[in-house]
Amino acid sequence: MKYRWLLASITAMGLLAGTMGARAEGTLRVCSDPAYLPYSNRAGEGFENAAAKVVADALHDKLEYVWYDTRSKGGFEQFLAQTLDKNKCDVVMSLPYGSREEQTTNPWYVSSYVFVFKKSKGYDIKSLDSPVLHKLKIGFESETPIETGLQLRGMVTTATPFDVADTPGESPRTVLQAVQDGKVDVMITWQPSVGAFLKDYPDLEVVMVPNEREMGPPEQYTFPMAMGVRENDKALLDQLNDVIKAHQDELTKVLQQHGVRYSGSPSGNPSPGVTGTP
Amino acid sequence: MNAFPVRRFSVALLSAALLTFFSAVAGAQSASSLQQMSQNPNDWVMPGANYSVTRYSALDQINASNVKNLHVAWTMSTGTLRGQEGQPLVVGNMMYFESSYPNYVYAVDLNNVGKIVWKSNISQDSFAETVACCDVVNRGVAYADGMIFANLLDGRIYAFDARTGKVKWSARNADPKIGQTMTMAPLVIHDEVLTGVSGAEYGVRGYLTAYNIQTGKQMWRAYSEGPDSDLLFTPGKTIDAATGKPVGAGSSLKSWKGDQWKLGGGTTWGWYSYDPKLNLVYYGTGNPGTWNPTARPGDNKWSMSIIARNPDTGQAAWAYQMTPHDGWDYDGVNESILTDTTIDGKTIPTLTHFDRNGYAYVLNRANGHLLAANSFIPNLNWASKIDLKTGRPVVNPDKMTKEGVNVKGICPGSQGGKDQQPASYDPNTKLFYTGTNYICEDYQAFAAKYKAGFPYVGAIVRMFRPDNGNIGGRFIAFDHVTGKTKWAINDQYQDWSGALTTKGSLAFYGTLTGWFRAVDINSGKILWQFKAPSGIVGNPITYMHDGKQYVAILTGVGGWGAIGLSNGLTKATAGLGAVNATAALGDFTNLGGTLLVFSLGDNAIPDANMPSQQPVTKAGNSTGPSAAAVAGAH
Repeated sequence: MKYRWLLASITAMGLLAGTMGARAEGTLRVCSDPAYLPYSNRAGEGFENAAAKVVADALHDKLEYVWYDTRSKGGFEQFLAQTLDKNKCDVVMSLPYGSREEQTTNPWYVSSYVFVFKKSKGYDIKSLDSPVLHKLKIGFESETPIETGLQLRGMVTTATPFDVADTPGESPRTVLQAVQDGKVDVMITWQPSVGAFLKDYPDLEVVMVPNEREMGPPEQYTFPMAMGVRENDKALLDQLNDVIKAHQDELTKVLQQHGVRYSGSPSGNPSPGVTGTP
Repeated sequence: MNAFPVRRFSVALLSAALLTFFSAVAGAQSASSLQQMSQNPNDWVMPGANYSVTRYSALDQINASNVKNLHVAWTMSTGTLRGQEGQPLVVGNMMYFESSYPNYVYAVDLNNVGKIVWKSNISQDSFAETVACCDVVNRGVAYADGMIFANLLDGRIYAFDARTGKVKWSARNADPKIGQTMTMAPLVIHDEVLTGVSGAEYGVRGYLTAYNIQTGKQMWRAYSEGPDSDLLFTPGKTIDAATGKPVGAGSSLKSWKGDQWKLGGGTTWGWYSYDPKLNLVYYGTGNPGTWNPTARPGDNKWSMSIIARNPDTGQAAWAYQMTPHDGWDYDGVNESILTDTTIDGKTIPTLTHFDRNGYAYVLNRANGHLLAANSFIPNLNWASKIDLKTGRPVVNPDKMTKEGVNVKGICPGSQGGKDQQPASYDPNTKLFYTGTNYICEDYQAFAAKYKAGFPYVGAIVRMFRPDNGNIGGRFIAFDHVTGKTKWAINDQYQDWSGALTTKGSLAFYGTLTGWFRAVDINSGKILWQFKAPSGIVGNPITYMHDGKQYVAILTGVGGWGAIGLSNGLTKATAGLGAVNATAALGDFTNLGGTLLVFSLGDNAIPDANMPSQQPVTKAGNSTGPSAAAVAGAH
């Protein structure tokens, strides 16, 4: 609280002086994980790297990275605290739209949690309420809405948690391999985390987990994703929103090239039919 | 005559026990001996000093007039860096204590200072560390019948031979794979050791379990939620203390929507107390399974409750829910201190409980009847009062958390007016002494969040020190009947250590920044303080050895109170929102567990600890000074 006020007053002073609080002219400084494909890596192979390039080019800015592990101690919150909050860089490429941790732009992609299983099994899975799930070995990424959804249905104790997001160095590919190897019958994970690897697994079927409120509380499995900037960085926010509006087609192309599939349009209207295999 | 009412009952207990439990004579005897042992102020045989958990000592060698001469007698590293929320036990010439994870248990010989008689080092499932919500703390061991009982973070309880450290048995009480961990101190009653479970953040359905102290066999288990058979409630007999009437059938199931009770929370990680005369054990239950209250309509019983049970059968005599339909994470696990209280000229056997929700509840411990509930923090605003007729809080609707709304300035914050840091009761002043938190919070129950690569929906909590942020905790002297705070010491951060009071008119406590203090119990004046190597979240104890009184404290900052420092977190909303409240704590203290022991006067070293000063004979072909001569002087 106090910290936020302090930041706000520093910004106010900065505006008077005309320099502080704003990013360096002509450079887009992106806070990024050096080793977390398919999101990003030092070699620039992730979909967030590609999207950052689109944004920097659109702004006629030089693209610079500040690398920090998003999966080491303290996780993503610590990453934000040590990079964006410390003014070492100016933007993170993925944050759920509306997150209060930072200020978010308009969404530039929307995706969903998905079921992944072998096509040959032909499971009749349409939602977490599909009866066949009770007979299957389920894998899921822990501390996600999927965990809560499984808890609500009393299925979490027999399912296998995976923890890609807290294990530095581990590729999200491992969860697809777990399905391929028969360690689990069905894996439930966030599509963008595995989209880029699905081309190597042609035998796997992907089905979107629909949003619902069958159990009472609303269950959200589709998330519009935005870029994140510091709370006080209104100037960059406006610039990024302009870029997203003008260059959505290019960003969409980047996502498609990297196997990230939409479950709806970036305006936030989910359209379940769009999700499918790559 | 000893000022403790409950201590008069030992003879009655013994005969009652022999009559009622003739088939378990050995157990009854061990319990009564434990009860007797706790009356000897030279020892400290239970986590809370005695079954009433008063944390009061009748020793007065160290007192208000000489405490200024207190100094370090000896110290010992715990071998760990994380939060030390426990206390040592002293039984005869031996001291026992447990470190934070990986939970080393130490037996130290007081006749031969510094001699570690045994140390346990049991390898644990390291996954437990990742699911422990609020640092990998431990709150201490229990002693009975020549055995030490210790909980491990990864869900196992161990019985060690107190003399040798040999493992007598172990039992799996909880499973980290489903979010269950263990941090609390067990309690032995009769021939059973009672223990609980942590992990309500993961929807763990809380339970209390009794194991036979000789064999480790599970005797009973009572859940906090579910059907009456799981609760060990007798619908026509178990009393709902809020109404004074029997709870009736399905009292828990009726208070949840559908099957949500299966993820009911209500974990049992606090301090337990016991009344031998009524033969009832008292403990509290934690928050309901999910933090988003909109998702779980109903009172969510019996989360957030004090439950009184027969320790031999587990059957519940009564239950009282402090915070129905919790919206703030005000776990009800804090200790229930058993004393006699005079109200309107009548002396009543009472239980006093400083709840996370900021109210100090006084109940008749025989039937749970609510006698008083006063706020012990100056800025409580989530409720206007506790209605003594209905037993329920009158909730301020503006401060109720709900889906999609950012509710600002809730006081106290989730860490509560007081968390687990145990209070002390001085029978001479008839006041309670306790560290408290002075923390408020903003709470958004249904907000988009991100863990590296994966979006989700959760609560965003931001705790902060109110006013100008200069005060984060207060150590207070409190009258539980009138609700008056007699005096208070304002500290920079939450006062997360336990309290000790002594007949020497002293109260001891420690601060997060590492000041260990002796306070005049009447005036609140700080008479002595010592800057410890690390911040203090442990609980002071006192004992007498060879005619000399000692005060001991486990230092080592951590716990939820200082989770930012202990886990290296810096984002304001990290650590369930606690990090913001202790920003800059690292400027004042550092991690590291150390046992500190203090005494008066000259620092006489027992002969056993003096090295030989005889010249070394040439025959030994010694290459250095005669350090080897130290050994063997046991």
